[in-house]
Amino acid sequence: MGNLGYLTKEGFRNLKVNKLMSVASVTVLFSCLMIIGIAFMILVNIEAFISGIESENVIMVYVDMDASDYEYIKLGEKLRTIDNIASVENVDKGPAYEKILSELDDGLRQYLSDLDENPLPNAYRVTVSDMAGFDNVVNEIKKLSNIQRVYENSTLARQLESVRNSVTYISAGMIGLLLIVSLFIISNTIKVTMFSRRLEISIMKSVGATNSFIRWPFMVEGIIIGIIAGLLATGAVWGIYEFALGSFTTMLSGLGGDVRVSFLDYAPYLVAAFVGIGIFTGVFGSATSIRKYLKERKFVELDD
Amino acid sequence: MIQFTNVSKKYDNGTHALKDINLTIDKGEFVFVVGSSGAGKSTFLKLMMREEVPSSGTIVVDDVDLTKIKKRDIPKFRRRLGIVFQDFRLIPTMTVFDNVAFAMRVIGTKEKKIRRRVPYVLSLMGLNDKARNYPKELSGGEQQRVALARALANNAEIIIADEPTGNVDPQMSYEIVDLLMRLNEAGTTVIMVTHEHSLVRCFDKRVIILDKGSVVSDGGALIREAATSHINAVNEISNEYVVPPEEDYSAYAGGSDSAESFETVEITEEFTVTGGDD
Repeated sequence: MGNLGYLTKEGFRNLKVNKLMSVASVTVLFSCLMIIGIAFMILVNIEAFISGIESENVIMVYVDMDASDYEYIKLGEKLRTIDNIASVENVDKGPAYEKILSELDDGLRQYLSDLDENPLPNAYRVTVSDMAGFDNVVNEIKKLSNIQRVYENSTLARQLESVRNSVTYISAGMIGLLLIVSLFIISNTIKVTMFSRRLEISIMKSVGATNSFIRWPFMVEGIIIGIIAGLLATGAVWGIYEFALGSFTTMLSGLGGDVRVSFLDYAPYLVAAFVGIGIFTGVFGSATSIRKYLKERKFVELDD
Repeated sequence: MIQFTNVSKKYDNGTHALKDINLTIDKGEFVFVVGSSGAGKSTFLKLMMREEVPSSGTIVVDDVDLTKIKKRDIPKFRRRLGIVFQDFRLIPTMTVFDNVAFAMRVIGTKEKKIRRRVPYVLSLMGLNDKARNYPKELSGGEQQRVALARALANNAEIIIADEPTGNVDPQMSYEIVDLLMRLNEAGTTVIMVTHEHSLVRCFDKRVIILDKGSVVSDGGALIREAATSHINAVNEISNEYVVPPEEDYSAYAGGSDSAESFETVEITEEFTVTGGDD
């Protein structure tokens, strides 16, 4: 295994010899991976948000303001008879209003409670057991009388679904493109290294080094570039994500559902993917550029 | 044994580099291959190293048929050859020791063996005290001796020297050929390509003359005069031969007078010794 050590050491030496080019390719690969990472985190968030809304299989049924208390109770009974309903919960207007008031600031609360009039309707909070029958339940409810309004989140969920799809396609395309760019960059760096070390390659070939022996240090170089860029990109995506989370959380929770996707839950996947991409681009980038180089039959370089 | 049978080589660009070559080089032989530029010398070498394949005919080196050898067996085959280039091909960032060791490392030799073998081949070339020097601290002749040590490092059975004296002064040229002779006496087959007719004339060895892709003369001492006159003739008609454009004559910069260039060598050596003590 002494050989492996020697070859790996050579790979590190390549990096040092080509300092500028190594830094350049780490930077570019890092940028590519960072964009991929950001696209991924946006996707994960939309996904979590949508499924959060979808899992809230709640239908709010607001009762007519004019309906009497009896009619309110009767509506509840009717709701409970509908198929595919998990629960029906009373949301009385009194406690609901107090809850809203308690969330307001003092002056406004004082003003509203002085009005002594509750603008809220009574409501039922209906949950559905099988999401497949969600639309049927909504239609059934709408047929009932004494209903002011039926509110459910499925429309929002459906709208987000189409956003998700387009985001998925766009990010998939972007990720693909960036992967190709990364491959190109790594293979270019290795080509430069190989050009600067063509003397050594020519000697290696002339003394009978096998192609894999010639190739290994360059692969190591590519892999190291990939790993460094991958780790840096993970760190950067983490930082950016935490920052963005701070400014966007309020906006998202305003839309409904407090979905907070922790970066650390996805960090292992991201690191694995980035280092994987790094290694992949390193191996393939170097393999393609070396193949071209090894094929060149001019280690004798004589004019004849 | 190296055997060329009806070997022709035509390149894709239409150049007919070698035409119907038939020759045999026995094990332990010393052969000069002489010819002007464009005569087919380097194609001849490339074919022998399996860097190129002939368009027709067969080449057999030590029972290995180079026209049939599998790609993955080529590296193993090349380990039997020791190749010396005109431009030395030493790695400037490595010491003399590491340059020689490099040839062993890249074929996976154990470090323990390298530490025994390298000093031995360096001593054969009289370079013991230069092991820690870098190539740029050595004279041209010493650099070529390092290259020769490297060619020997892996126990080559055949030494292929491509214009080994092209970049060194006449005194060193003579010494290098002398070293090759001694290796040859120890049993190594040596094939040396050159165009220095005066050098060839000094040694009583087989001379193969290539011209326009064909062997025009092949023989030992008896036809040395013929070889010389051929070279002289080429000299007269071809300016290219006198100063081949691809060659670096900086080694001769000391002047045409040979006495002067000897002085230069001595000064270089003194300088190197002091440099090494630092």
